[in-house]
Amino acid sequence: MKPGPLDLDVLRRGSGRPIVVAHGANPVSPKARFVDLLAEHGEVIAPSLPGFGNSPRPDDCDTMYDLVNVYLDLLDALPEKAVMIGLSFGGWLAAEVAVSGHPKLDRLVLVDPLGIKLSGREERDIAHFFNTNPAELTRRAWHDPAKRPEGIYGLGWQADIGEAMTDEDMVLLARNWDALCIYAWRPHMYNPQLRHWLRRIAVPTQVLWGAADGIVSPDYGQRYASLIPGARFASIAAAGHHPELEQPQALVDRIVEFMGQPA
Amino acid sequence: MNQQAKIDQQAKIELWNHCENPYPFVPAEVLDQAESVRASLPNKYCDPKIAAQLYDEVFDEYQLCDDIGLNIVTNEHHSGINNLWAASPVITGVVARLTRKVRILSLGTLVTVRPDPVRIAEEYATIDVLSKGRLEIGFVKSGATEMVSGDANPMRIREREWEAIDLIEKSLVTQDGPFSWEGKFYSHPHVNIWPRPYQQPRPDFWAATSDLPTCAELGRRGIINTLLFGGYDRTRQAFNAYKQARAEAHMPRAPEDRFSYMAFAYVGDTDEEGLRIGQKIAWFLTVSIKSSPQFSKFQPGNVAPEMAPAAWRTGASRRPRPTNLDAEMLIGQGQMFAGSPDTVARQLKELRRRVGGIQHVIMMTRQGLVTHAEAEKSFNLAAKEVLPQLQDLPPIDDDETTWLAQRAAAK
Repeated sequence: MKPGPLDLDVLRRGSGRPIVVAHGANPVSPKARFVDLLAEHGEVIAPSLPGFGNSPRPDDCDTMYDLVNVYLDLLDALPEKAVMIGLSFGGWLAAEVAVSGHPKLDRLVLVDPLGIKLSGREERDIAHFFNTNPAELTRRAWHDPAKRPEGIYGLGWQADIGEAMTDEDMVLLARNWDALCIYAWRPHMYNPQLRHWLRRIAVPTQVLWGAADGIVSPDYGQRYASLIPGARFASIAAAGHHPELEQPQALVDRIVEFMGQPA
Repeated sequence: MNQQAKIDQQAKIELWNHCENPYPFVPAEVLDQAESVRASLPNKYCDPKIAAQLYDEVFDEYQLCDDIGLNIVTNEHHSGINNLWAASPVITGVVARLTRKVRILSLGTLVTVRPDPVRIAEEYATIDVLSKGRLEIGFVKSGATEMVSGDANPMRIREREWEAIDLIEKSLVTQDGPFSWEGKFYSHPHVNIWPRPYQQPRPDFWAATSDLPTCAELGRRGIINTLLFGGYDRTRQAFNAYKQARAEAHMPRAPEDRFSYMAFAYVGDTDEEGLRIGQKIAWFLTVSIKSSPQFSKFQPGNVAPEMAPAAWRTGASRRPRPTNLDAEMLIGQGQMFAGSPDTVARQLKELRRRVGGIQHVIMMTRQGLVTHAEAEKSFNLAAKEVLPQLQDLPPIDDDETTWLAQRAAAK
């Protein structure tokens, strides 16, 4: 699939109403259960962003602004209106896309999104992805780190480099980590302006949050939702920063319920 | 002096003193428990009164070097026990005024963590004027904990460094500015530094790297290439990349003054003393580089993605840090020069031969647990008993015995 001039690697599954996903620190894994669950309700379209996974990154593609335009190109190419789901870093991207607005975007789901600065200048809203010890990242990112699905990676994957991790996976994880750093090192995982423009989001929005998220708190999530006109907030029990990996069924149930509601 | 005249002049080795002004006074149990001794170790462990004493001692050492003919190198690292020179241009400015004769190399301020290269050019031009043309400007890629301490994106450091170097160079040499710069990483619409540098067109540039494509680029630009603890083979390889790039670009052969090497060094009265005190220098490697994984092997950009499996599974940073590096082992690897003056002179000539020619040797002597008095003793011996043996050396391609015989016959 070619959204605009970029030849991105795109995971597609199912058919029907487009469900566009913007991934977090790593591209959506084809092995992730939530992909199958979502694909029962439409066509999941989940590109690897430029520089992530097997998608190339042109030299000058290096800001959130570029990624927003990648998704606007992608929406242009869709045959009908789509739901957009943004996960973590991809939640920031999805919020930016929704602020820009696009006639093909008709619903927005933000899952533990990053992207805005809320608290005071000496308080950190979002744990530093790169400067935090991997063991600490794991502790913060997962409700139950022991139950992480094998071969599917969320934050803190560096804490568990073992024989089970293939060389191929490591190369891709390194690409993802490098690309994420290019886009989001500073300001760390947010756009100082975005908070003021969330009011422009004009599509029905559902904000979902892992109740045990220690990367960015549910309280931040509630305040995030309150800045988007009409947005609904719900928390997902027994999940951390990656509800789609820890509680795929509960998360997809919430999303499907939201997709079926009248606008 | 033109390039050919430089080649024809007598070869020699110049000695430089590099002190990082380490702070080895944090209790061992604190260091053992700390995740990292750089970037995240709280500064409550740095007593400013001890720091002031260290500054006095090292500046005294620099004044001694000025008296006896050892050039001086400063650098900077941040937020850690390994280095109290937090701002190389500040320290170099002090050295410029404390000394009168020797050359001063800033190796260097960390251009990749500083937002405005024009300000760097301005600082260096000021120091060059202060020192009346004794400044040399060095560039280091930096990385790891420095990116954390300076909150600088660790990705694309090399591209950023080259753009910074280009902008610094243009700032230094432009005399009919203001000029405008709108680059990939830096923009500055109105560049016009005062004062301009004392040396014309600008002070010599140095860069510390063993990365072969970077060495090749240094060769094409004529920038002095220094390696840090690279060992004989890696250093020769790096210098060969430099020379080959010049040959391929049809440029004149690089004289030996384009090549430099830094290693630990201690000159004692005897080999035994040199080795015994040299052993104290190894603290730099055994203690002062302890760093947590997110500040090292897992930092973005630390290794190319295709190298990640090797680096993460078996890379050096996965091994426990060495605790008993032996001076003789370091000498064998070409990472330390230590012993009596004659021994050290022999080691340095051996270095020159094995790397294919070199004019600058940077000695890291006041390092680790080496004291002020011990450092001054080594500097005196280096200047008075080693340096004279490093003048009037045979051309690098000639056999020394044959050359000496020819010279004797000619006289």
